[in-house]
Amino acid sequence: MSLKYGVLGLLAQEPLHGYEVKNRFESMLGGTWEVNVGQIYTTLQRLERDGLVRPVGARGDRGKLLYELSQAGRKALVEWLAQADSGPQQLHEDIYVKLLLATRVANGGLPALLGRQKRAYLQRLRDLNQLEERARRDGRIDLARLVRGALLHTEADLKWVDELMADLHGGKTE
Amino acid sequence: MIELVRLTDVVKVYQGGITGALNGVSLSIAQGEFTAVMGPSGSGKSTLLNLIAGLDRPTSGRVVVGGTELGELGEAGLARFRRDHVGFVFQFFHLLPNLTALENVLIPAQLKGRENADARGRDLLERLGIGEVANRYPAKLSGGQQQRVAIARALINKPTLLLADEPTGALDTNSGDQVMDLLAQLHRDGQTILLVTHDAKLATRHSARVISVTDGKIVDDARLETTDRPAADVVRLRSEETSR
Repeated sequence: MSLKYGVLGLLAQEPLHGYEVKNRFESMLGGTWEVNVGQIYTTLQRLERDGLVRPVGARGDRGKLLYELSQAGRKALVEWLAQADSGPQQLHEDIYVKLLLATRVANGGLPALLGRQKRAYLQRLRDLNQLEERARRDGRIDLARLVRGALLHTEADLKWVDELMADLHGGKTE
Repeated sequence: MIELVRLTDVVKVYQGGITGALNGVSLSIAQGEFTAVMGPSGSGKSTLLNLIAGLDRPTSGRVVVGGTELGELGEAGLARFRRDHVGFVFQFFHLLPNLTALENVLIPAQLKGRENADARGRDLLERLGIGEVANRYPAKLSGGQQQRVAIARALINKPTLLLADEPTGALDTNSGDQVMDLLAQLHRDGQTILLVTHDAKLATRHSARVISVTDGKIVDDARLETTDRPAADVVRLRSEETSR
């Protein structure tokens, strides 16, 4: 998925060797995605195998090899950029499964579970707010936009938990 | 910790079942805190603010602000309390249209009998970044400028407590951000602030304490960590690589 296209995108700007790709990728993502250099080399090798990148010249000092984008690589990148993200929504967090299990296993542990989750979301909102401010201060408007997306997602998570808490509360008084 | 506000078992009932009632709220706020009160409309959060401000009286329970038991004050006493101790910032600025920005800022000082607060008024407008609009009328000012004038007016008598009820609600994102940054700056300078908002993003931006109000009750009182955390500890893009 997007590590592949991230590498293609960076190489579309200028030829780079593996370690530069790693550094630029991480700094582009502002620390929100750490990769090890091995992953980068594996990705570059696969991209070379598929004809999307090619080495420029011979191996330089300390065995560094520069890669550049091929015609096919540029085409693949442009097509990927033009595609909307579709497919199922990915829910990664354990809370969704905990919610399902809490009513089955933990007998009445649900209010406390939701209360703790609400705190966690509030703290995350606070942290994301600070991260967004930091990105803006550093002149990283692109990164601030990414963080803003995360902020709005967390706001939705919080509304969801509030709604579940209100449901529980309403159920009790009936 | 110096306690500035204490509410004990506060109940507020409105005739005719109007929303915004409070069903037994107890709360303590320390001097220098920046507290956010968060809740949906009709939850009672604005009622809470109005009771602390002395704008309204509880049906039962006690409200003590800065050592003063508000229930023991008559109407004149309450008005004096508000003038001397409380600064207000509302969603819709409430500036008087026939007075200039500076004249609006000076109203609370004049009510207090301070006729020569001019210098402080100008200084405040300067500090809030709108020194150049001192002699303009509200109609000639942008929403963001009007709100800053309202903040200067709230601060002119050096209030013990600054109360802000949805202060960015009528502003565009940019002006709203500026107003929030201003509140944060005032807090760093030692101002106690109570912010009321329905917006969790705003509530968590600068406040280290977030109180959630639902159906007239405090359902959560969270104190948040305020240290800066590395990006990777806060947000992470998916990094599973599918091989092919």
